[in-house]
Amino acid sequence: MNLLIELIRSTFLAAVPILLASLGGTYTYYADIFNIAMEGMMLIGAFTAVLGSFFSGSWVIGILSGIAGGLFTALIFTVFAVYLKTDEFVTGIALNLFALGGTTYFLRQIFSVKGAFTSSKIIPLPDWNIPIIENIPVLGELLSGYPFLVYITFLIAVLVEIHIFKTKFGLRLRATGEDDAAVDSVGIKSDIIKSKAILLSGFYCGLAGVFLSLGYVNLFAENMSNGRGWISLAVIILTRGRPLGLLFMALLFGFFDGLGLALQNTFIPSQFTQMVPYLATLAALFFYSREKKKSKGESKNESMAV
Amino acid sequence: MADPIISIKSLLKIYPPSTVAVDGVDLVINSGQIHAVIGENGAGKSTLMKVIYGLTAKTDGEIYINNKKTHFSNPQEAVNAGIGMVHQEFMLIPNYTVYENVILGTEPVGRFNILKKEQSRKKVRQLIEEYNLNLQLDSIINNISVAAQQKVEILKLLYRDVNVLILDEPTAVLTPQEIEDLFMRLKKLRDEGRTIIFISHKLDEVLDLSDIITVMRKGKKITTLENKNLSKADLARAMIGRDVVFTVKKDKASPKDVVFSVSNLKYKNEQGIKLLDNISLEVRAGEIVGVAGIEGNGQYELVRSIIGLLTPDSGEIKINDKRIDKLNILDRRKEMAYVPQDRKNTGSAQELSLVDNSIMTHHRINKNLSGARDYILSRRGARDLTDKLINKFEVISESKSQPIKSLSGGNQQRLIVGREFMLSDNFILLDNPTRGLDVGSIEFIQLEIIKKRDQGAAVLLISADLDELFGLSDRLLVIHEGKIIADKDPTKTNKEEIGAYMLGAEAGDYR
Repeated sequence: MNLLIELIRSTFLAAVPILLASLGGTYTYYADIFNIAMEGMMLIGAFTAVLGSFFSGSWVIGILSGIAGGLFTALIFTVFAVYLKTDEFVTGIALNLFALGGTTYFLRQIFSVKGAFTSSKIIPLPDWNIPIIENIPVLGELLSGYPFLVYITFLIAVLVEIHIFKTKFGLRLRATGEDDAAVDSVGIKSDIIKSKAILLSGFYCGLAGVFLSLGYVNLFAENMSNGRGWISLAVIILTRGRPLGLLFMALLFGFFDGLGLALQNTFIPSQFTQMVPYLATLAALFFYSREKKKSKGESKNESMAV
Repeated sequence: MADPIISIKSLLKIYPPSTVAVDGVDLVINSGQIHAVIGENGAGKSTLMKVIYGLTAKTDGEIYINNKKTHFSNPQEAVNAGIGMVHQEFMLIPNYTVYENVILGTEPVGRFNILKKEQSRKKVRQLIEEYNLNLQLDSIINNISVAAQQKVEILKLLYRDVNVLILDEPTAVLTPQEIEDLFMRLKKLRDEGRTIIFISHKLDEVLDLSDIITVMRKGKKITTLENKNLSKADLARAMIGRDVVFTVKKDKASPKDVVFSVSNLKYKNEQGIKLLDNISLEVRAGEIVGVAGIEGNGQYELVRSIIGLLTPDSGEIKINDKRIDKLNILDRRKEMAYVPQDRKNTGSAQELSLVDNSIMTHHRINKNLSGARDYILSRRGARDLTDKLINKFEVISESKSQPIKSLSGGNQQRLIVGREFMLSDNFILLDNPTRGLDVGSIEFIQLEIIKKRDQGAAVLLISADLDELFGLSDRLLVIHEGKIIADKDPTKTNKEEIGAYMLGAEAGDYR
C-alpha cells in the first residue's frame, strides 16, 4: 500500500515539469513554430530560480527569477527565429547548447561547485496541505502536501485549454499556425502572435524549471532538465497539442518516471530503470503512428476539425 | 453624377534596383461603378492595387480617398477606410470554418477576451441570406469548392462593411456558370452603391461586367474608356499595342493512326477516393485532344500516370502500340514531349542558366550533346542547341548564361515548350501550357502547338482555360471525378454545355 501511494505521489511530482513545459510548447505548436528550445528554457529557468531563491532567501523571488530566465531564453529565440528569420531548428539547438554550457559555467563560477549545488539557503516552494482532506487516511496522503505549484499547474492546464480554444488570442494563434499570410491580410501582425507564443512557452518552461530546482528537488544540478524538454515536445506531438491530452500524457510519463525510481531498489541496474520513461515515450510514439496509419482517413478529418 | 472615391495622381512604384512597376499613373475611380483595370501580366495592375491597399509602399505620387490625401501603411487601415481586396490567392485559413474565417481580425469578445459568438453568427448568417451566398457557417474551408471559398472572401469584406471591393482576377478559378453567378452578385453590390475594382486580362468578361475600363501597359495607364460600343479588338490593341488574333487559325485536322492510348486506367488514393475511374482515351496522329475539367478531378493524376510519376492501380498506357506504363521515366521521355503545369518547380530549374534548362532531358537522349565519350557533355553541343531553341522560339534574353528565373514568365515558358517540342514529334503531353502568360506568348505557343499537330504529332492538352481548349482542340473530353464523361466536337458544342459537364451533369442533362 505504501509503495503504491509513493508511486502515485511521484507520478504527480514527475508529471508537473513535463506538463508545464508542454503547456508552454502548445502555444508554439499551434503557431507552427518548431520549438526545440524548451529544454534550454527549462534548464536556464531552473538555474535562475536557484539563484534568486539563494540570494534573496525568498521562494517568491525564486519563482520570479526562474520565469525571467525562461523568458530571457525565449526572447533570444524570438529575435532570431521570428525577426531575423533564422532556422528554428538550428536556433533551438544553439540555445540548448548555450543553456547547458552557460548554466554549468555559472554554477562553477558563482558557487564553485561541480555537478550539483545544494544549500540550506535555497528556499524551496512551500507545500500545501489541503484542509480536511489532509486528515482523511490514504486520500490525504495521495492529494495533500505537495509543493503548491503542483495544484496550480493542473489549474493552468484547464486555463490554457480555454485560452487556446475559446479566446480571441487562441483563434488568432491557431490561424497564424495554419497560414500566416492570411492572418496578415486581415490586419493582424502574425509576427507578434508568434512572438507572444514563444514568450508564453518561455514563461511556462521557466516555471517548469522553477519546479525542478525548488519543488521536485531543492538543488541545482548540471543538465538537471535531463531531456524533459524533449519529452515535452514528444508529448505535444503525440497529443497534437490538446492541453487535456497533455495532462494525461504527462501523468503517464510521470508514472513511468516514478516506476523507474521504485524499481531502483530491486535487482535491476539503475541505468536501466532510468531508461523507463524514455522507453515509454518511444513506445507511445510507435503505437501512436500505428494507430494513425490504421485510421488515416479518419485522422485526417480529425486534424481538419482543429 | 458619380463622385470620385479614389483618385490617384502620378503614382510611381519602383521595385529596387530599377524595376518600374507603376510608372506615373493617374486614375480616378468613381463610386457606384464597376471599374475594370486590364492589362497583360506585368502591366502593373496588381502592383497598383497593392499600393492602394497598403500592401506595398509607393515610391512617389499621391492617393486621395474621398478627396482626402491618404496613405495606408497596412491593409487594416484600408479596410477601416472601407476598402477591401480579394486576392488572387485566397487568404483563408484552410481548417477554420466559414464563420471563423469571417470574424478573424474583428472578433467580438466578452470578458477575459473570450469569444462572444451569438451576435456575430447572426450577422454573418444574415449577410449570407441577403446576398444569397449559399454558405454554411460551420463548413470547413478545406471541404468547400473554390467558388464557395471566393464567396467567403467576399463575405469577409461585406462583414467589415467595405465600400470599395478590389477583386484581383476573380474568375481565373471559376467555371462559366460560377462566373455568371459572381457577376450577378457584383452587379447587385454595385446597384447598392458600392464600388468595385475588377482586375482582369480576360476581355470578354471585362466587356460583360464593367462600366469603366482602364487599360494598362508596361506600368503606364494607356487609356480609360466608358464601356460603350467597345470591342474586344479595341481593348486588345490598347493592351498590347498591336492587333492580336484571338482564335488561332487552324485547318481542319486530318487524324491518322492512333498514336497514344490509355485504357482502363484506375487509381485510388490512400483515403480510398477514386481519382482515376476507369479512364480510356485515344489520341491520333495529327489531332489535338483537349481535356476540360474543374481542377482536382483527376487531371493531375492522369498526367502523372502518363509521365510515370505515379503508378496507377491498373490499366494500360501505350504509345504506337508499345506499352509504356511499366517503363521508367527516362524511357518514356524518349517517346514523348511533356510540358508540365508547374513552370517553376517541374518545368525548369530556376537558378540554372538557359543552357542548362535547354538541354534538360536532351542531355540523356540526344547523342549530339555528348562528345566522344557518352558520359561527358559537349559544351558546344549544348550551346548550339540553346541557340537554336532561343532563335526558333523567340526567347527574349540577354545571355545564354543568365539564370532562367531572370526571364519573364512568357519567355521561360517559350524555352520550356521549345525544349520539349525539339524532343519529340510523336506524342506531346501538355498540362496547362499557357497558364498565367501574356497574350503575346499565349498566341505564340498556341500557334506552335498547331504547327506540331500539322506535322503529324498526337497532342493531349489538359487545360483549365476553356478559351484555349475551344481554340485548339479537335476533340474535347470532359473529366469529372476521375471519369471521362463527355467526348465532344468543339465546333458542335459551347462553353455552357462543357461547363455543365465539368460540374458533373450526365449526358442528356443539358438542354
